[in-house]
Amino acid sequence: MTPSYRVTVSDREVALPTGWELTWLDRAAGVARVARGEEAHIVVVEGSGTEWHVTIAGRRVPVTVRTRREQRLAEAEVASRQRGGPIDVRASLPGLVVALGAAEGDEVEEGHPLLTIEAMKMQNEVRAPHGGRVVHVAVAAGQTVATGALLLRLE
Amino acid sequence: MRKDRRPAARIGKVLVANRGEIAIRVMRACRELGIRSIAVYSDADANAPHVESADEAQRIGPAPATESYLHIPNLLEAARVSGADAVHPGYGFLSESAAFAEAVEAAGLVWIGPPPATQRALGNKLAARRAVVDAGVPVVPGLMVPLEDGDVPDLAEIGLPAMLKAAAGGGGRGMRRIEAGNELPAALAAARREALAAFADGTVYLERLVSPARHVEVQLLGDRQGNLACLGERDCSVQRRHQKLVEESPSPAVTPAIREALYDSARRVAGTVAFDNAATVEFLLDAEGRHFFLEMNTRLQVEHGVTELVTGLDLVAWQIRIAQGERLPAEVLEPALRGNAVEVRIYAEDPWDGFRPRAGRVTTWREPAGPGIRVDAAVRPGLELTPEYDPLLGKLMVHAVDRPAMVARLRRALDETLIGGLQTDLGFHRWLVDQPGFATGEYDTDLVASVWGNGPELVSGLADLAATAAAEARAAQPPPRAKAGGDPPGSAWAARARAEALRQ
Repeated sequence: MTPSYRVTVSDREVALPTGWELTWLDRAAGVARVARGEEAHIVVVEGSGTEWHVTIAGRRVPVTVRTRREQRLAEAEVASRQRGGPIDVRASLPGLVVALGAAEGDEVEEGHPLLTIEAMKMQNEVRAPHGGRVVHVAVAAGQTVATGALLLRLE
Repeated sequence: MRKDRRPAARIGKVLVANRGEIAIRVMRACRELGIRSIAVYSDADANAPHVESADEAQRIGPAPATESYLHIPNLLEAARVSGADAVHPGYGFLSESAAFAEAVEAAGLVWIGPPPATQRALGNKLAARRAVVDAGVPVVPGLMVPLEDGDVPDLAEIGLPAMLKAAAGGGGRGMRRIEAGNELPAALAAARREALAAFADGTVYLERLVSPARHVEVQLLGDRQGNLACLGERDCSVQRRHQKLVEESPSPAVTPAIREALYDSARRVAGTVAFDNAATVEFLLDAEGRHFFLEMNTRLQVEHGVTELVTGLDLVAWQIRIAQGERLPAEVLEPALRGNAVEVRIYAEDPWDGFRPRAGRVTTWREPAGPGIRVDAAVRPGLELTPEYDPLLGKLMVHAVDRPAMVARLRRALDETLIGGLQTDLGFHRWLVDQPGFATGEYDTDLVASVWGNGPELVSGLADLAATAAAEARAAQPPPRAKAGGDPPGSAWAARARAEALRQ
């Protein structure tokens, strides 16, 4: 029996449907069969706690699964961030910083190209998630960054 | 005339100057021929799958390709130390480097590929255009000379939209689309910059954009005695960023008459140079069935496997045998083409995010099996993908008696393929097999841009399924164990509540 979770799929809240049954085919590899009536799908499930990824038909979807308490905590955090606290912009993929598009003190608008990371021979632009002032630039051109590395801070 | 090359000799040991699935592919051919293979690896690849597949392995430098897989002195040293007598370059990296081919031959080793002179003659797209026009091969209308800053080309004659292309180009880099004359100066500067960065050569030219078009290519094998085989064509029209995602043979758009015309042009292109070994001549095919020469790739292609499936030939084995001086027999010169084959490239990239590459760790990897399936891959669970190299994980190929059976088999194979840990383009391929245009074979090079776009929204049925799977998975997890200090689960919330209370 599934406890009463609050679930979001790709950041959108989803009411948990009923009647589906999950059977692990290979728990270590995260391979499971999800079935309801005559409909069945093989999915790959990764994650633990509140953060999960489910791959269906080749599409990997982020899913959060929270208890009511965890949901309230998460909402409190979002509210705190919206009150104007600084936002850390982090690398979503590892690579080489090849160009900087903003300097400390710059006022940038949402979508402004902040810097370019080269990975797998491709140039990936990192854009401002929202408008604000660049209060700290943590990297320099020519530097290699890992996934999750702090790139710069917006306020 | 092969006076510049070494006399025919049996090859006993091949250095495979590449990594990933293509290195494994070459090693498999070597093993079947009773030839020893030597892997090379950078520091990032010490435990990579291709190292396991070889008889021996040599370290060639640190992770950056310029210091390892592109570093000619290190590769030659690895060949010397290991006692290799031949080098196979795979595709990419140094496979089309005349300088590397010449260095290999100068070191007294056999180069398994077209002669360096062929590569020099055809490496520049603009020079190749001029050479093949003289041989009577149709090319895309446009400039035959470089476009200089400030030039005002006759756009009415070339035709709009047009395409700027890097003369030294490849892989879709240094290309810019021109819709109107006033876009030219800015686009030229951008294309030149990109070409300089990618190829250290900023030469750019302009040609008409043929659209709608299909990308069709002819596979060639030639021996050193002057025999040349055309081994059918491949249709590579499913592309993103001018790079191929899916290839099939035969092309649904090619009739026997078109095939004869393509073969004739391909033979003429090969005739402009002293060619032997394996190469591919690429063409655009317009809606009227007219073809235009694009370029000749003097190496094994990523998609060679689909040709192997429909011809039953081992192209890598033939590359090695040709390099040993063997003559092509009748079954290679006049191969029977059987059934339909298709390949989908499995890239670590997100089709819902503009096909941007994704680094990360592969946690789950399950390959399809059964009739008509071939998987060439270099992946295992736990493999860490580094951003240094191409994000190709592998290639899924299927072969069936006709095209409808091929599409059904591909759908079945994709459903059997399970990858976890990072987003791949598998979701795009699964979408593709259900597209009416793919089922009928009526698609062109605009398919990804115009039909896929940014990808379909997540339908609610799939969202429900994802929600269910994750919730069930969490419910089935053992509850988090209390830490040594005795904090009960949920204490973060309790601590926060206490903090809130204190502040008031």
